[in-house]
Amino acid sequence: MTRDTFDAWAIPGSVEVPGATSTSLGPEFSIRSLSIESHWLNRLADILIKGSSRLKKRKVADLAQILGIAGSRFLKEGDPLRTKALELLPRASGLSAPMARAVLDGMAADWVEDRLCGLLSNEFGTSNALDGFVKQNGCQTMAIGADLCVQIVSGSVPGVGVTALIRSLLTKAPTLLKPGQGDVVLPVLFMQALAVIDQDLAENVAVLYWSGGSSDLERGVLDRASVVTTYGGDESVESIRALTPVTKRFVAYHHRISVGVVGSQALTSGLVEQTARNVARAVAVFDQRGCVSPRSIYVESGGDITPEAFAGYLASALEALEDDLPGGGLELEEAAALHQVRGAAELLAASGSPGGIYHGGRASWTVIFDPDSELRCNHVGRVVRMEPIENLSDLIKRLSPYKEHLQSVGVAGVEANLEELAEELGRIGVSRIAKFLELPFPPSPWHHDGGSPLRDLVHWVDLEEIGD
Amino acid sequence: MTDISSTRASPIGKVSEELDVLAGELEMHFAQDFKSCWSDLEFEELALRAFNAQFQHNPVYRRFCEGRNAVPTVVKSWGNVPMVPTTAFRYLDLVTGDHSSVRMVFRTSGTTSTTLASGRHLVSRPSLYHAALLSNFREYLLPDVEKIKFVSLIPSPAELPHSSLSYMVGVAADTMSSETHWFVNGEGVLNSIGLRNVLNDAALQGEKVLLLGTAFALVHWLDELAGEELRRLPPGSRIMETGGFKAQTRDITKDQLYKSLSTTVGLEPHRIVNEYGMTELLSQLYESNLTQPNEIQAGHTPPPWLRVRALNPTTLEPVAENETGLLAFFDLANLGSVCHVLTEDVGRVIGGKVHLEGRFPGAEPRGCSRAMDELMASSRVTRR
Repeated sequence: MTRDTFDAWAIPGSVEVPGATSTSLGPEFSIRSLSIESHWLNRLADILIKGSSRLKKRKVADLAQILGIAGSRFLKEGDPLRTKALELLPRASGLSAPMARAVLDGMAADWVEDRLCGLLSNEFGTSNALDGFVKQNGCQTMAIGADLCVQIVSGSVPGVGVTALIRSLLTKAPTLLKPGQGDVVLPVLFMQALAVIDQDLAENVAVLYWSGGSSDLERGVLDRASVVTTYGGDESVESIRALTPVTKRFVAYHHRISVGVVGSQALTSGLVEQTARNVARAVAVFDQRGCVSPRSIYVESGGDITPEAFAGYLASALEALEDDLPGGGLELEEAAALHQVRGAAELLAASGSPGGIYHGGRASWTVIFDPDSELRCNHVGRVVRMEPIENLSDLIKRLSPYKEHLQSVGVAGVEANLEELAEELGRIGVSRIAKFLELPFPPSPWHHDGGSPLRDLVHWVDLEEIGD
Repeated sequence: MTDISSTRASPIGKVSEELDVLAGELEMHFAQDFKSCWSDLEFEELALRAFNAQFQHNPVYRRFCEGRNAVPTVVKSWGNVPMVPTTAFRYLDLVTGDHSSVRMVFRTSGTTSTTLASGRHLVSRPSLYHAALLSNFREYLLPDVEKIKFVSLIPSPAELPHSSLSYMVGVAADTMSSETHWFVNGEGVLNSIGLRNVLNDAALQGEKVLLLGTAFALVHWLDELAGEELRRLPPGSRIMETGGFKAQTRDITKDQLYKSLSTTVGLEPHRIVNEYGMTELLSQLYESNLTQPNEIQAGHTPPPWLRVRALNPTTLEPVAENETGLLAFFDLANLGSVCHVLTEDVGRVIGGKVHLEGRFPGAEPRGCSRAMDELMASSRVTRR
């Protein structure tokens, strides 16, 4: 690796390394990725599959410990890997340096041993179903991980790839990971950490970047996989799904959006500033790129502070955050979209619509108060919409159209009837309700998009009572 | 075209004479002064008068400008006139002058694939629009002949009354065609047999044609022909192609399309002229290869009443010549709405010409070409 070029791959030592090509990710940084051809990739997949039976013999507690040791290096101040990650992340992902640090801290918190053990026990109870047969409801059962888990991630949220990788390794599945272009750094560094501790385990993983939509390339490995997971927009998930044979277990994390709800109880004059700070932080982390990022905030009327006034508080909080967690730079295309949405919001306000807009000029943060739900906007940078609601049932009505894509709901000031609200939200597709401060980083055992992060990756074999 | 004059009351009342006077002057300039080079000073003067009129007679735009403290007494050059984003046409009517005088409404695609509203451009002065589009069309597509046979793969304005592209071709055909054939209907279905016959007859009779189509329609047609070469079109024939190259059937580069078209109908690639336009701008920009055949792909030339700048995406300050930026247009033909428009398109400006580098339809379908693309794509489902 040279100063400005990052080699975006980690493959088993027994595989020869083909040539590589560079992709520029900005004026000072480029990633090199391997020039992959189908036959090479297929052979790599076959090698990974071959290692599966060896991997299956390992104890899951042992894997959790080793993965945890590798993961915890990213949290240890002064560890060369953490230092390298902090140096590379802003350039590779476009996040500002303080933001990249916050994202790394938040993501890596889940990569340590006790969190991984917590995840395992949440998914499989105290049993060791991944290590052998366990008694369940009078019968014996065992969870078997894939012979090859292919994980295709698109998107630019750093850390998603490592989390995906850890999950499949915990199920003892050899893994081929294609991280998103903005997320190549962490999986490769993680594999470097793993190789130092346990070369044998590292041999079960390949991390490779290629540009998405290379169906010839993808078809071969999808044929060989027994479990396929994809993370990305609907279009990319759809294209991978179309290439995946029907017999494969397919886990899709398609496009998701999250929103926030601020009840009137959080809008007293004593609480409003703290509420605004918490909402602002959820908006700021990931610069609204995450599926957990709240794109729209629904604010209940009737509190001391009106929803319209709360938009101003949120704007001030976002402005203040620029000091601690500055927003990252925008791609040309994103900057174009930002000007469009700001200008359209200003014109709508000028036309007598009841809405309004606050924005940070060159900083991307933008609060659009949009009571009539008039604006459709791309969420580029820290753009957040705000809509007033009369009461919480109004919220369900407004969110229903987005049912297919809803994920998390950040809440403040809705403590009364919380369970009732949560159930109603669940019925329209929401899979997580959390405090704004917790919104960016779900706890590791969460039901990711309503599913089970580990159990979705295994199949069960039931051994019934045999004989007399 | 839709007459909506009876449905809206005027919010302003009497439209000032000033606006009418300026419209009259511009119409005359558009029709007569294409060749003469409009000096920066002349353009500046007209642009500031247009801004003043729009500030006075477009209350939404006025409040927008006031919000930015960019009012006529402060703004001394057209570059500082507040820009409206193209997206704003999706939410607002943006009419300058009396709403009751609106005569036509053009729409961008309101597609099934998104939840976005379609953009709209309300036009009060068809004659001003005609003057702009006709002299520009003549300059870049028919500089050498009075009339020509129009063979259109763009649906007729009768079929697509809200398409500014169809309307433009219709108006041009009214004055410049010896004969007009429309081969794509309002549902986007191509009559390929009719098209083949007409081209064949023209070839046999040595009659020059102007073939017009969106990139998507042309690709679709070439796909149907599957490599078959038709009779060579007579020398002097030409093609107007418009629209992006992210065709929905398959990806194809502009070079590939031109090469394939040129082989199919036996025309030199430099006889193919790309038109760049959008519903939000009433002027179009053309490549100048018919008049300057040595300058193939030397960019799109704006008509003299339109100025284009590439802007820094963060600051919106102009970038240096030949540097990439967001494209912004000051189009005097937009007198009836707002002249200064900020797009999401990206390109470089060299010697006043635009070199397009990309349109970002990723966000949303836009422009008439895209609307047409989607029509044709959806028609395929039901076609034989």
